[in-house]
Amino acid sequence: MPDFNAMIYLYLRSRLLIVCGVVGFLFIPAGVGLADQPRVVLADAVVCERISNFRPVNPAVIFSVSQGEVFCFSSFDPVYEKTAIFHNWYKKDKLIFSMRLILSVPKWSSFSRVQMRDADKGPWRVEIRDEDNNILKTLRFSMSD
Amino acid sequence: MEQLSLLFSGWRWQDMLDIVFNAYILFRLYVLFRGTHVLRVLMAVVAMWIIGRSANAMGLVITNWVMQGVITVATFMIIIVFRNEISGVVRTRSLRFFLWGIPRAQINTPVRLITDTVVELARSKIGALIVMPLKTGVDSIIASGVEINAALSREMLMNIFWPGAPLHDGAAVIQRGKITRAGTILPLSQNRNLASKYGTRHRAALGLTEQSDALVIVVSEERGRVSLVKDSQIHEIRDPDKIETLIKQYTGGSEPAKEMRRQTRELLAAAMICLLCTTGLWLSFSRGMETLANYEVPIEFMNPDKKMNIIDASASRSRLLISGARPLVNALTLDQMSIKVSLDGTSVGKNKLTITRQNVQLPPGIRLKQIEPDQVEVILDTIAEKQVPVQADFSGKLPDGLIMTSISVSPETVNISCGELSLNTITTVFTEKIALDNLTASGVVHVALVMSPATLRPDDKYKKVQVRYTISERPRDDGSES
Repeated sequence: MPDFNAMIYLYLRSRLLIVCGVVGFLFIPAGVGLADQPRVVLADAVVCERISNFRPVNPAVIFSVSQGEVFCFSSFDPVYEKTAIFHNWYKKDKLIFSMRLILSVPKWSSFSRVQMRDADKGPWRVEIRDEDNNILKTLRFSMSD
Repeated sequence: MEQLSLLFSGWRWQDMLDIVFNAYILFRLYVLFRGTHVLRVLMAVVAMWIIGRSANAMGLVITNWVMQGVITVATFMIIIVFRNEISGVVRTRSLRFFLWGIPRAQINTPVRLITDTVVELARSKIGALIVMPLKTGVDSIIASGVEINAALSREMLMNIFWPGAPLHDGAAVIQRGKITRAGTILPLSQNRNLASKYGTRHRAALGLTEQSDALVIVVSEERGRVSLVKDSQIHEIRDPDKIETLIKQYTGGSEPAKEMRRQTRELLAAAMICLLCTTGLWLSFSRGMETLANYEVPIEFMNPDKKMNIIDASASRSRLLISGARPLVNALTLDQMSIKVSLDGTSVGKNKLTITRQNVQLPPGIRLKQIEPDQVEVILDTIAEKQVPVQADFSGKLPDGLIMTSISVSPETVNISCGELSLNTITTVFTEKIALDNLTASGVVHVALVMSPATLRPDDKYKKVQVRYTISERPRDDGSES
């Protein structure tokens, strides 16, 4: 025969836990949870001389302007939902070119390129940003003779 | 009265010094040439100069022209005609006398005592030569002999000139009641017309008076006669009673105190006239001619907030148009003028400040006409700190067949400080250029950071960074492309 007081105590404790749970749920800010999960994960990003078979060729940090162009390759795995990213090309601290690239589920690779001229010699960087303008990676390289 | 106060308004301490200094030079010239003919001719030249200036002011062209000519000729005449007097003054004066010495005539000398001694010497037929320097002094002419500085007494004089005494051959110098020097050798006169009755003593006395205004008493040893020599003239005294009167006459007055006062009054009057003349001359130069001038004066910013930096200003100088007397304007230098603008109440960013007359400091006597520009735009910024990444910078070309696959910079980021406005635009700090041409294998280099703009300041420990690079052979191309 269970103790009557012990039953009352268990009953009240379970009710208290329910109330606390309800109140706690109400105070959880909106957006936390699934919404906070990144939509993409950057798997690889390089600056390279060419793209061949959807793979970067000769990733490097110095590029001769005589080669004509330079590529920024980025691959994302996984991609949780269809979204866009940006490749922002800067010469020193000046934004020269920005390209919007669409990513599709479940994984995706994309690249952008710029033509190299004599006047472009100097330090460059490419900032890979997501749709919310968060920097995912910064790639630094130089254009030389 | 108002015009007078206007005339003397805006005086600087330099003007006072200018006037006093030149008045003193004029006074010294008067003291040096007092009693000579040069001073009289100089006075005449000054009078002609004043007439010339007045004629110029009144537009009397010919009079002015004639006066200028006469002054020029007179100046040459003074030098040629009075060359002996001028050279006498120059030769017979010490440097101390040139600067501040004031010659006094024989004032405190007991003439009676000298007269009695001289008469006694003459009666005993003891030869004597007594020098009494007057205005011009004799210090530079007779430096020989023995310095005595003894109180004047009949016995002392008799003793000096007593035959056989060591100093009896030279002259004794009496100044202000003292025998200052004895046994001195006087310069002999070269006068060929001197009567044969006069001996070496008279020739020496004459020689001294040719070069100074001193009075020399000569007692002839052979004839027992007393002669007073003054201004190259020998006055033989036959009546001993007249000796005292003549000495007093030559040495200037019978009452020392009265004579002293008279001389002091004369010198004070001369000093006042010199001061007035110089002041008048200064006023005629400085107040007669007004002129305009332009000066580019640097703008100084006062009371800056210690946390703020002046990044830029639309103007660093302002052009001041000023007016004033020509000598004052000509004597003006840039460090005597300043434009001080207060930065009180300014804030970060652009600030427009007005330059008013209150911001301009000019010396007295100079008036401000215009300020151009009268507004200046100042950009202020506060000092801020930021952590920024470092990126290596390269120049040249890698050798063919090589590829640089990676770089790592250590430290990856540095702290820099700079004006907040400038700092917002800076996201990366670059290294000095690393030459690629000689790089054939992986390695490490240490390079300095390039601080651009120049106001950028890195932490001291980050003046150089380490760049580690990897170089490898370029892979063979497979030929396919996306």
